[in-house]
Amino acid sequence: MTVPDLAPDAVGDTERPVEPEWPKRLRWILILVIGLPYIWGLLGLELSWGALGRAPGQIWGLMGGLLPPDWSDIAESFNKLLESIYVAWIASIIGAFFSFPLGFMAATNMAPNWMTGPVRALLSGIRAFPELVLAIVLIPAFGLGPFTGVLAIGIHSIGTLGKLTSEVIEGVDPGPIEAIKATGGTRFQAMRFGVVPQAMPNILAYWLYRFEINIRASAVLGMIGAGGIGAEIVGRLRFRDDWPKAGAALIITIVVVLIIDAISAGIRRRIIAGHPGTGPVSRTLGTIVGDITPPVIEIQEA
Amino acid sequence: MIEFKNASVVYPNGFKALEGVSLTIEDGEFVVVVGLSGAGKSTLLRAINGFVPVVEGSCNVNGQEVVGAKPAELRALRSDVGMIFQTFNLVNRSTVMNNVLMGRLAAVPRWKSMFGVWPAEDKELALRALERVGIVEKAYVRATNLSGGQQQRVGIARALAQEPKVILADEPVASLDPVTSHIVMRDLKKINEDLGITTLINLHFLDLARQYGQRLVGLRDGKLVYDGNINDVDDAIFRQIYGRAITPDDMLQDA
Amino acid sequence: MTIADDPIVTERPTEPPRSVKYIVLIVGAVLLSIPFGILDINSAARGAVYGIIAYGLLLLLGVASRPTERSGLIDLSALVVAGAVGLKLYIIPIAARTTVITWRLSLRASVGWLLFGLVVGWVVYRNRKGTNPSAIILIGLAFAGAAFLALQAGTDVGYLESISNRAIKRGEFQNIEQVFHVWVGLIALGIGLAVATSFALGNAVVISLTVSAVFTMLAFNKIDFSVFEMISRSTQVSLLVEKLWPPDFTWSKSIGQPETFVLWEPFVETLRIAVVGATTGVILAVPLAFSASRMTTPNATVYWFAKSTMNLIRTIPDLFWGILFAAAVGFGSPFPGALAMIMFSVAIMGKLLSETIDAIDPGPLEAARSTGASHWQMVKSAAFPQVVPHYVAYALYIFELNVRASVILGFIGAGGIGRLLDERRNFFQWDQVMAIVLVIFVTVILIESVSIWVRRRIV
Repeated sequence: MTVPDLAPDAVGDTERPVEPEWPKRLRWILILVIGLPYIWGLLGLELSWGALGRAPGQIWGLMGGLLPPDWSDIAESFNKLLESIYVAWIASIIGAFFSFPLGFMAATNMAPNWMTGPVRALLSGIRAFPELVLAIVLIPAFGLGPFTGVLAIGIHSIGTLGKLTSEVIEGVDPGPIEAIKATGGTRFQAMRFGVVPQAMPNILAYWLYRFEINIRASAVLGMIGAGGIGAEIVGRLRFRDDWPKAGAALIITIVVVLIIDAISAGIRRRIIAGHPGTGPVSRTLGTIVGDITPPVIEIQEA
Repeated sequence: MIEFKNASVVYPNGFKALEGVSLTIEDGEFVVVVGLSGAGKSTLLRAINGFVPVVEGSCNVNGQEVVGAKPAELRALRSDVGMIFQTFNLVNRSTVMNNVLMGRLAAVPRWKSMFGVWPAEDKELALRALERVGIVEKAYVRATNLSGGQQQRVGIARALAQEPKVILADEPVASLDPVTSHIVMRDLKKINEDLGITTLINLHFLDLARQYGQRLVGLRDGKLVYDGNINDVDDAIFRQIYGRAITPDDMLQDA
Repeated sequence: MTIADDPIVTERPTEPPRSVKYIVLIVGAVLLSIPFGILDINSAARGAVYGIIAYGLLLLLGVASRPTERSGLIDLSALVVAGAVGLKLYIIPIAARTTVITWRLSLRASVGWLLFGLVVGWVVYRNRKGTNPSAIILIGLAFAGAAFLALQAGTDVGYLESISNRAIKRGEFQNIEQVFHVWVGLIALGIGLAVATSFALGNAVVISLTVSAVFTMLAFNKIDFSVFEMISRSTQVSLLVEKLWPPDFTWSKSIGQPETFVLWEPFVETLRIAVVGATTGVILAVPLAFSASRMTTPNATVYWFAKSTMNLIRTIPDLFWGILFAAAVGFGSPFPGALAMIMFSVAIMGKLLSETIDAIDPGPLEAARSTGASHWQMVKSAAFPQVVPHYVAYALYIFELNVRASVILGFIGAGGIGRLLDERRNFFQWDQVMAIVLVIFVTVILIESVSIWVRRRIV
C-alpha cells in the first residue's frame, strides 16, 4: 500500500515524537509476572486430565442423586432458609451501622492522617478474616448458632463496607464541600450537606449488595454447624437417601436467592440512577412510587 | 455523490425527525447544514452512514444504497465516510495515536487489530493525519490530557485516517471556545479544498456558516426548507429556516 | 432588605413532602420495641411485635390526619366487610387443635389476608392520585406475605405456647386457636398496615425504611437476637483469649512423629489454588463480560445467554462448586479447589466488569462504528481501553478474594489449609487453630498491601 499524502505542506514542520518503548516492555513484564506463578501453581495442583474427563459423568451422577427433588420436608427447609436470610439481614445492619462512621474516619478527604491510618489498618485487619474463619475463632466463646453467625458476618461486613464507604466518600466532588465551607459552614455541615447527599446513593447500594453477599455467607456458615440452610443441606448430603431432599432445599435456596438478588439489583439501580430502570423489576418498583416519572426518551438531536 | 430521495426518518417513539428530504450533494462540495435543535440536522448526517435508519425513500452514498444495506455493506460504506462528533468521542484513556488508528480498523486484518499490531503503513498514515491537523507532537500522549480543541483535531485526524470520500461533522465546534472553533473550521475547510473530500457540517452558529460555508442547507421540523449558495442567504432566509428572528445567541461572536 | 424586589409573577411550587418525620417515626418504633422487650420476656421478640403494630398504627394515623377530598364511608365499609370475610377465610382452615404450624396452614392463613390486603390496596388506589393499579396487588401481597412471615416467626421461639397457656389460664381465651389467631393476626395487621400506608404515601424512602424496619424486627424475633444477650455474652470474650492464646505453630503430623511446622504444605497448596483459579477465571470472564453488557453485546441472543450463564455461576456459592468438583474429580486433591475458584472468579469478574462496561462512554463506540469497524474491533479498540484500569484493579481484588476463599475450600475436602483448620477445630486445639488463623491473616494482609500498592500505581 502506498501512503497517500494527507499533509503535503505540513510534513516536516514539527518533528515527530519518538514512540515510547515502555508499553512493549510492560507487556513482557506482565507476561512474566503472571505466567511464571501460574505455571508454578499448575505444577502443584495434581492436575489430572483423566479425572477432568470423567468429571461431567460424575457431576451428572451427583445431580441424578439430587433429582427428582423430594418436596416433603420443604417447610422445614424454607424455615431454615428464612433463618439464613434473617442472619444475613441483621449482620448487614450491624455492618452498615458501624461501617458508616468508620468509613468517614477512613476517608483521606474527611479525616486527618493520624486517624485514617489506624482506621484503615483496623478495617483491612477485619477483612483479612474470612467469615468462616472468624466464626471458628468465635466458637470457643459463643458456641455454635445463629448468634455466632451474625457476629462473624456482621464483623466481616464492617470491614468490607467500611472500605467501600471510605472509597465512595473519597470519590465525591470536592466542589460542594468547598462551597459550604465558603459560606462559613463547619466541617460537620460540610459532611452533612456536601458529602452525604453525594455519597449516600452509592453507599446504600453497597449495603444492599452486601446483604446479597451475606445471604450466601450465612448459608455457607451452616457448613460448620452454625445453623441455617447450609447445615440443612450438608446434613442431608451425608446420607444418599436424603439427597432428593437436599435437592429440594438447594432448588428453593437458589430460587429465593435469585429473587432477592433481582429485587435488590433493581433497587440498587434505581438508587444510583435516581429513576426507575427499564428492567421488569425496576419497572414494577417504579409503579409503586408515583412521584418519580421515568425520563422521556430523548431524540438525539444537537 | 450523496443522494437523498424523498427520505424520511421516524424514531421508535413516533417522532418524525426527517420528512421527505430530497437532496443531492456532488463530490467535493462543502455543505453547511443549519436549523434549530430538533430540526433534523443530526438525523440527516446520521442517515448517511446508516446510524439512523431511513424508513421511507432512499439514501445513496457513492453508489451504495444505505436503505436495506447488509451489515457488511454498511461497514464498507462507513469506512469511506468519516465522522466528527460534537463531544469528540475519543477513548480518553488511549493515546492519541491509538485513537487515530481507530480510523484504520476497517482496513486492517481483524486478528491484527485484536492484538494491537498495526502495519507500518497505517501508522505512517495516522502520523500524516496528525501532521495535517498540526498536533503530531502529541501522538503518544493520552487523549484525556489534551484541550478541547486539540481533542477535536484528533477527532478530525481519526476521520482523515480512514482516507474518507465524505466527512460528516456533527456540530464539531459546539463544545469549543470561539478561537478554537475558528481553527477547527479552518482545518475542515482546508481539508475539503486540498483533498477534495465531500464535507457536510452541522452548525449552530450562523456567522460561522456564512464565513466557511459554500452551500447551505436549511432544515426546519425535519423538512428541507432551503438549499442554495451561501452568498445568496440573507437574514430573511435565516428567519425562514429558524422560524423566528435571529438573536445574538445564534452568533458565535457577540456582536 | 428584600431579595426579590420585583413582584414574583410565577407561582411558587409547593414543597414536596419530606421523609424526615417518617424516619423519626420508624426509628422511634424500633427503639420503643426494646423497652417493651425488657418488660415482657427479656427478649426483643415481643417488643418487636409491639413495635411493628405501633408503627403501623402511627403511620395510619399520620395519613388519616391529612385532609382528603372524598368521603371515606365507602372505603371504611369495604374495609370492614373485607376484614370480616378475610378473618372468616383465615379461621376456617385452622380447625385442628394444634400449635404445630405447617407449611400449608401458613399458606392458607396468608390467603385470608391477601383478600383484606387487596381491599386495602383498592382503598389506597381510590384515595391517592397517580397510584398505579399494580399497587393494589402489591399491597395485597404485602399483607399475605406479612401473615406468612409472622406465622413463621411466631413458631420458632416456642413463644406462642407460653403466651397461649398464660392467656388461657387468665380466662381471656378459651383455646389455643383463638390466641393463635389474635397473635398472628396482630402481627400481620401491623406489618400490612405499615407497608400499605407507606405505599399510600408513595415516598420511596418511607417505603424502603418501613420494609427494612419490619424485616429487622421479624429477624430479631426469629433468631432471638437481643441486646441483653449480646451484653451478657460479651463477658465471654475473656474466654476467647484464654483458649486461643498463645498460638501453637508446631504439632506432630501423627502420633510419635516430631512436632514440625505442619501447616506449610497445605498453605502453599492454598496459594497455588488461588493463583491458578484467579488467573484462569479472570481471563475467561473477559469475553463473557463483554457479551453480557448491553453496551457491547453483539446481539440479544448472545446477551441473554452470557447473562444467564453468569447469573447461574454466580448464584451457586463457591463452596457448592467445591463440593461439585470434589465429587467429580476426587476429594482431598487441590484440583477441584482450583476449578471452584475459577468459577468463583468468573462470577465476580463477569459481574463487576459487565457493570463497568455498562457505564462506559458510548461516544467512542459510535466513533469506531462510524469508521466501519466490525463489532469486536469496536469492542477491542473503543470499549476495552476504557475499562482496562478497572479490569486490572478487579483482577487484583479477585486474587485477594481467592486467597481468602480458597482457605474455606478445605472444609469440604477440596484441598488447602482449610482442611487443617477444620481438623484442628474438631480436636478442640484452639491454640493451633489460632496459629493457622494467624498465618492466613498475615498472608492476606501481605497480598492485600501489594495489591493496593499496584492498584494505586496503575489507576
